[in-house]
Amino acid sequence: MKEATAKRIADDLLRPLLNTSWRFFLLVAILGAIVLTGASAWMYQVWNGFGESGKRWPVFWGFYITNFVFWIGISHAGTLISAILRLVNAGWRRPVTRCAEVITAFALMIGAMFPIIHLGRPWLFFWLMPYPNQRRIWPNFRSPLVWDFFAISTYLTGSVLFLVLPMIPDFALVRDKTTGVRRKFYGTLALGWQGTTKQWHRLESAMQIMAIAIIPVAVSVHTIVSFDFSMAPVPGWHSTIFGPYFVAGAIFSGIAALIIAMAGLRKFLHLEDYLHPVHFANLGKLLLMMSLLWTYFVFAERLTTWYGNGTSEMNVFWVTQTGSYSPLYWTMVICNFVIPFPILSLRRTRTVTGCVIASCSVVVGMWLERFLIVVPTLGHKYLPYSWGPYQPSKVEIMIMISTFAAMGLLYTLFAKFVPIISIWELKVGEHPFPIEAAAQVKEHAILRTNP
Amino acid sequence: MSVLYALYSEPDDVQKAVDNLRKAGVPEREIVVISSEPIEEYEFSHRDKATWLYWIAGGGGALGLTFGTWLTRMTELAWPLPTGGMPIVAWWPNLIVMFELTMLGGILATVITLFITAKIPTRENTLYDRAVSDGKILVGVESPAEGARNAIEKALGAGFVGGR
Amino acid sequence: MAHRWGMTVDLDRCTGCGACVTACHAENNIAVVGDAQAAKSRAMHWIRVERYWEGDFPDVRLKFRPVMCQQCDAAPCEPVCPTYASHHTEEGLNAQVYNRCIGTRYCANACPYNVRFFDFYNPQWPKPLHLQLNPDVSVREVGVMEKCTFCVQRISAAEIDAKAEKRELKDGEITPACVQSCSAKALVFGDLNDPESEVSRLSRSTRGAKLLEELGTLPKVTYLARQTQV
Repeated sequence: MKEATAKRIADDLLRPLLNTSWRFFLLVAILGAIVLTGASAWMYQVWNGFGESGKRWPVFWGFYITNFVFWIGISHAGTLISAILRLVNAGWRRPVTRCAEVITAFALMIGAMFPIIHLGRPWLFFWLMPYPNQRRIWPNFRSPLVWDFFAISTYLTGSVLFLVLPMIPDFALVRDKTTGVRRKFYGTLALGWQGTTKQWHRLESAMQIMAIAIIPVAVSVHTIVSFDFSMAPVPGWHSTIFGPYFVAGAIFSGIAALIIAMAGLRKFLHLEDYLHPVHFANLGKLLLMMSLLWTYFVFAERLTTWYGNGTSEMNVFWVTQTGSYSPLYWTMVICNFVIPFPILSLRRTRTVTGCVIASCSVVVGMWLERFLIVVPTLGHKYLPYSWGPYQPSKVEIMIMISTFAAMGLLYTLFAKFVPIISIWELKVGEHPFPIEAAAQVKEHAILRTNP
Repeated sequence: MSVLYALYSEPDDVQKAVDNLRKAGVPEREIVVISSEPIEEYEFSHRDKATWLYWIAGGGGALGLTFGTWLTRMTELAWPLPTGGMPIVAWWPNLIVMFELTMLGGILATVITLFITAKIPTRENTLYDRAVSDGKILVGVESPAEGARNAIEKALGAGFVGGR
Repeated sequence: MAHRWGMTVDLDRCTGCGACVTACHAENNIAVVGDAQAAKSRAMHWIRVERYWEGDFPDVRLKFRPVMCQQCDAAPCEPVCPTYASHHTEEGLNAQVYNRCIGTRYCANACPYNVRFFDFYNPQWPKPLHLQLNPDVSVREVGVMEKCTFCVQRISAAEIDAKAEKRELKDGEITPACVQSCSAKALVFGDLNDPESEVSRLSRSTRGAKLLEELGTLPKVTYLARQTQV
């Protein structure tokens, strides 16, 4: 690789780390304030009692579990996609992998908070962990919640390592390019990385193994999240399709979140030379495929329910199709299929803006999907006497808003302290700058012209 | 630890330097090549490629599986509490926990092996130059034999920088 | 032989008076949540009298069905609990150990009968209600699930008495609060493992059916169908 190109890549990608504008502090302050409000809302709930949430008999799960499933779903963007793209050696993955993997790490951390927030006695959450204790009782391995604990902690460990390992050489680069406190800070993070041939080979082999290992783990995580529902003999939940249905939905919402995050980075960190329209177009095609897959799953699930015509199943069926939840249901269909399908199908609209619009719509739609899985079923179980509605409380809404702010905050801070695009991987891949790349990707008429 | 090293811009020169060092009688494992990115397609970049990492990862997975099997079975039998008419040691649900621990074992074994074989984290490296991060490739010899210093310097040729 | 506690509910006899609900509250220290919380459907009636109207006006019939924990043998609420707070006892009861409960509320979702209740706030006993607390039953703190126990404190007391007097338990010696207070004698409690007990006899009745039997939860409560046309 030409030294000039290498220097340009390093300079461009290190700029956000070295220069800080007042806008960064303002953004961090605003997002931080929202996160703190959410945290105090949770403390308020813990202090006063769980009744401050909107839960009631018989809808004992609501916004918290919806958000849990939603955020775990979002986490399926990063590591899974990055691992697949690594294994098939897709060249265009290089600028995308790290900003995708970060989503996984943070979304998982946020998602994993919700099962704790939703506990009646959250101060005892560690009773889910297997450790020898004076109560002489271990967790019940027959409980899907314990499966969740194992799946999420494995996935979180794996994805954080998957994210951090390729960061080490970049930390070494930052160490060499900076002075003073920064040099000390990044020097510590670089763990004494030299870049010997042996180190590179080991790192690449390790990443290969991690990529292989993380794919089944990611699939298992959302399958197990779906088991939280499908293991209960309750109409609308007790279905064998839930595993693959949830995994497809998770990847679907994850890609959407990735596209939104990439568009944000591209705009605010001026990474137009690295995140090309072709990346958005490729991810847009992936999103389109997942949209179709999701629609197929929904149709299969609805059709079997309707055809089977079980009394209690049909109650849940109709309450979502034409009953009180139907406005949410049809909004979901519009957001997940009607809006993204044409935008992503047509090459003319599969632009950066088009992909972002489709992705925002998908994120809303997938959130609604999670809500519609959790709540209508609980409100309409077998005995009509025990049916009931659900309305979220202010506390629940505040906590939910604050998690979106938390995602933004963590992402902003990450992009401030770590090169958001893997510098060494980009160099290896002979990253095409728009002018040089024009010949390779000219089929994409939307290609941005180089300034 | 004393070192001698040179910096090059072109991988072809690196290959030449490595070959010269070999001719000068420097043992293979004392020759170190340092770059800011992995380099393929050259002979010198294929050194140290052979690895047991895949087998170790598999071993870690097997260890995780064993631990998972033991953990689920042992805890269920330690205080048998019947639930929902299921058997005390219920294999179907246990398989899920066993699977997750298998993968966790594999992942941890991989990362630990990586850290050990790549010799990180370490506090200081005597053989390093910040110019590597500007795209230069470093070829060096760690603790060269006393009598060989001149020969090494000569073998490293034009790119020779110095050492300690 | 171990006991296997069960109950029969004669729908022909139930008048829907609600005495069982009141008795249950008094016996089991169930918190009264107040009207505001009750309006949010957070009242905790371990036993409830479901009221269904059948037919079109003016040809309507009123039906009552007392529903309490069915003490299933294959209870969906038990395996989903991560901490074994919900598990099966040797006498076939669905035990709920309040101290182990961390409040995931999963058991309540898995229960097809919706007979599990959650303490949304710490219970309060405004004076003079605190004087009527039953010393044999623990009060529950915020964040735990609770449910019908078949008045396990009365079962244990009777078993201990019988053991002390070195004799077998007699049929009808144990009466849960709801059974005791049922003026129409619609509820009958006893040992299903004793073929001669009244509850066994009634359970074998051709009128007998289990609630949501098709789910395979194997409940130990048998409902005796209505025969009268009122």
